[in-house]
Amino acid sequence: MESNRIQNLKNQAISSILEAQSDEELEELRIAYLGRKGRITQLLKEIPSLSPSERKEIGQLANDAKNAIEQALADSKRAQAAKEIDIDKEWLDVTAPGKRPSVGHLHLVTEAIQEITTIFEKIGFTRVAYPEVEWDWYAFEGLNMPENHPARDEWETLYIDHLENKKYGHAVLTPHTSSGQLREMKRLGKPPIRMLNIAKCYRRQSDVSHAPMFYQFEGLVIDKGINITHLKGTLDYFAKQYFGPNRKTRIRPFHFQFTEPSIEVDVSCDICQGKGCRLCKQGWLELGGAGMVHPIVLKNGGIDPEKYTGFAFGWGVERVLMMKAGLKIDDLRLLYTNDLRFLKQF
Amino acid sequence: MNILIPDSWLKEHLKTKATPKQVANYLTLCSQTVEKIKKVNGDSVYETEITTNRPDCLSVYGIARELNAILPQFGIKAKLKEIAESKKEIPQVKKGLPLKVKINKPSLCPRFTALIFKNITIKPSPKIIQERLEKSGVRPLNNVIDISNYLMLESGQPMHTFDYDKIKKATMILREAKKGEKIVTLDKETRTLPTGAIVIEDGTGRIIDLCGIMGGANSEVDEKTKRVLLFVQTYDPMKIRRTCQALAFRTEAAARFEKGVNPEGVIPAMKKARIMFEKNCGAKVASELIDIYPNPQKAKTVKLDINQAEKLIGVKITKQKITNILESLGFSLVTDHQSLITFSVPHWRYDDVSIPEDLIEEIARIYGYHRLPSNLPRGKIPAVTKDSTFEWIYQIKNAFKNWGLTEVMSYSMVSQTQLEKTEIEPKECIKISNPLTEDLVYMRPSLIPSLLMVVSENNQDEITIFELANVYLYQKIDKLPDEAPMLTGLLTGEKFYQAKGVVESILATMGINNYQFEPYHLKQTFYGKVFHPARTAEVMVKKDSLGVVGEISPHVLARFGVKGRVVVFDLDFRELAKRASKAKKYTPIPKYPAIVEDLTFVVPPKTLVGEMFEEIEKASQLIKLTELIDSYKNTRTFRITYQSPKKTLTDKEVEKIRGKIVHKLKTKFEAKLK
Repeated sequence: MESNRIQNLKNQAISSILEAQSDEELEELRIAYLGRKGRITQLLKEIPSLSPSERKEIGQLANDAKNAIEQALADSKRAQAAKEIDIDKEWLDVTAPGKRPSVGHLHLVTEAIQEITTIFEKIGFTRVAYPEVEWDWYAFEGLNMPENHPARDEWETLYIDHLENKKYGHAVLTPHTSSGQLREMKRLGKPPIRMLNIAKCYRRQSDVSHAPMFYQFEGLVIDKGINITHLKGTLDYFAKQYFGPNRKTRIRPFHFQFTEPSIEVDVSCDICQGKGCRLCKQGWLELGGAGMVHPIVLKNGGIDPEKYTGFAFGWGVERVLMMKAGLKIDDLRLLYTNDLRFLKQF
Repeated sequence: MNILIPDSWLKEHLKTKATPKQVANYLTLCSQTVEKIKKVNGDSVYETEITTNRPDCLSVYGIARELNAILPQFGIKAKLKEIAESKKEIPQVKKGLPLKVKINKPSLCPRFTALIFKNITIKPSPKIIQERLEKSGVRPLNNVIDISNYLMLESGQPMHTFDYDKIKKATMILREAKKGEKIVTLDKETRTLPTGAIVIEDGTGRIIDLCGIMGGANSEVDEKTKRVLLFVQTYDPMKIRRTCQALAFRTEAAARFEKGVNPEGVIPAMKKARIMFEKNCGAKVASELIDIYPNPQKAKTVKLDINQAEKLIGVKITKQKITNILESLGFSLVTDHQSLITFSVPHWRYDDVSIPEDLIEEIARIYGYHRLPSNLPRGKIPAVTKDSTFEWIYQIKNAFKNWGLTEVMSYSMVSQTQLEKTEIEPKECIKISNPLTEDLVYMRPSLIPSLLMVVSENNQDEITIFELANVYLYQKIDKLPDEAPMLTGLLTGEKFYQAKGVVESILATMGINNYQFEPYHLKQTFYGKVFHPARTAEVMVKKDSLGVVGEISPHVLARFGVKGRVVVFDLDFRELAKRASKAKKYTPIPKYPAIVEDLTFVVPPKTLVGEMFEEIEKASQLIKLTELIDSYKNTRTFRITYQSPKKTLTDKEVEKIRGKIVHKLKTKFEAKLK
């Protein structure tokens, strides 16, 4: 019994298998080679009688042949089964609706917050959160707005009953995220600071463009050598990333007690392409306020204004959302009244 | 505050060829924002927003003064003209009409001036005055009243006119109002004055003026008026502001006075008024000019280091350029020592410029923010440890979305009724002193009332929602409340197990494994009252609670008008985040086959499947997986997977373990193998 014979036997078997036309033929071939009296089976039975050196080599070959034939039989059986399907007669109405996995909806504001966070994290800002119920000192006094200062009128502040601290005054609902500026300075102790504070804010105001609760995002950068060009660079970077490369930005002088100089930032209107329309002001949409941190505020935060300078900005999340998407939501309060017919649109 | 400035009026004071579009653009870029240009009868009217720190810009002349500094920066010539009428002296009058003035407290009225005119003929104002007033949004009334409005708009100095003959005993006492005093103002409204409002009382004790805000009807100029007392003053801004707030009433004059009116502008305005009275009303001066000004403004200087200017602006601006800019705004150079220069502040900017940064702002805006380059901050990125909570929040929210839940966001404030319906004691909650509406009074200590409101307000069959937001928990009178983030979800219908499944999936996503669901038994807690007593579980990790999942009590649902069943899970997100982990663990892929078999037990009523699981798993380490595949009446079918990492298990080995399971379940639960 030489190895050639085994090889031939295997080849013969496989070619017959490939030519077989039906399951019956395949079964006959299986019996012929692998059945109890099959030729391979016979061959395997002879192995114990061989000399030890032959036994190993021939045994290996015979086993390989057996496996190869078994594999070929299985493959052919599957091919045979496939042939029995009449592809031409099969049909599906591919225009009928698909069966979707049940998918829910994220709130528009959540998505905007995530997008804003990603943009600022790329340039080294770290997201933080500070109290929404906050002491007056952090929300006003420490930001260079003493009690009864007319600048406080711009925030329709909501006050908390029976909550007062000797050092920090009474409690308010944060009307802006700027209260986080002093918190961040005090927490970190010293620059460099690159803070992104995104939080709920509250004002005593409710109309189509104001909800009593809304979100702001506040950036604060303090380091040596920070100047207005850095504020400008950061605003431009954000506007290009968030609104797209075709929108322009504009800086106007403005006034805030806690920044000096103070500015307001506009983005060109996407509805009229900056030409001026009913929805914008001379082609511009107001994004929000910014400025160089007032030396008094730095001092209040425990930072030496002789050594360090900084900039800050605080803008409305809903506002940038509406400005970006051209969503044209006719009443901003819809975002927080949880009409599922509204929420499920996004 | 917004003001309207007609271009034609502006150009009476500013000689320039700048077009309205240029005026609007450049004013916006360097000073005050022009929100709109309106065309009125061939004139352009600038609707301009004036920031609170710049009351000096609340006038045509103030804006002309700004443009005088701005336009040349854009290569456009501009020249500010002097108001000639303000230079002409008021004629002296011998034996003029009398007026006795008494000011109770000098701080109420830093400057008091008054002048009496006679021979007045009341008639309409000249056409140009009427037109300018109309374009500026003020209704022309008659030649006398129009003068005061016209000059307020032109110079920023509010004025008031009285009928001199209605001031009894020609006496004025300026004082603070006492509690409960009343005045009928020009608009015929009776107003009860707050304590401290500045008023004028005449010689018979009648209140004839609510100073700085609106005159009294009892002394108003009417068509029969022959003699007029013209009043040009400044008042304590804080007093005006408080009175306006208390009355919830504000006029154009008050809006200027509360921001601070320049006392040095009083006399020029008075002088121009005198000329207009003569011209427009045929009037003659009939008294001495009364001018009470006990504490004149002192000169004020601010020192600037030009290196600091460069440090803050970010570009180098020469000393020459800085000086030019500041001088064009009316500042004047006082001293000049190398990099240190000192400027005196013009009187119209007295209140708003005090520190070097104020000067730097002036330099930066006139130089032009648009001319500055844009740079991203250089320097070190702060080495702060990142709060992974935000990442988890986003991951969990996304997972929820993909599992079919819809995110809601509701106001943090709730009503007393909502709290009471949900068994929460309002007394224990953070309360807003000045709520906007009675729906928004308390800071919510739980998201459950808000989610139940969503169900009751949305008329939908199947609702699956969640919210992740802070709740506010009172701590101490001088301590801020604890703001705890909660992850709360709600499913309508008989869906306890779906809700529990969501919770299990969150825990799996966050890498929290060692938890258990235990029946919730406490009756007196908030959870005990709001949830169904026998259909609620608490999620425990060792002895700590992560939250609950359960059906809302039918009583609570009834109060919210909700039919059917509602399941809620309410998880403490801080507890979740604290235990969350992204660590991955590798277990080798098993080499030996597993043996799987199904065992069905008959159990007594109320046997807890959770406990059966525990017992089964305790039977042997070779039990790799236990699943409940069927549960019908009193039978429970478990699918058990046996597998050894070391070898193929034999039937005998499995039989031994099975025997242990059957024994354990029998002794502990009286469960019988079917």
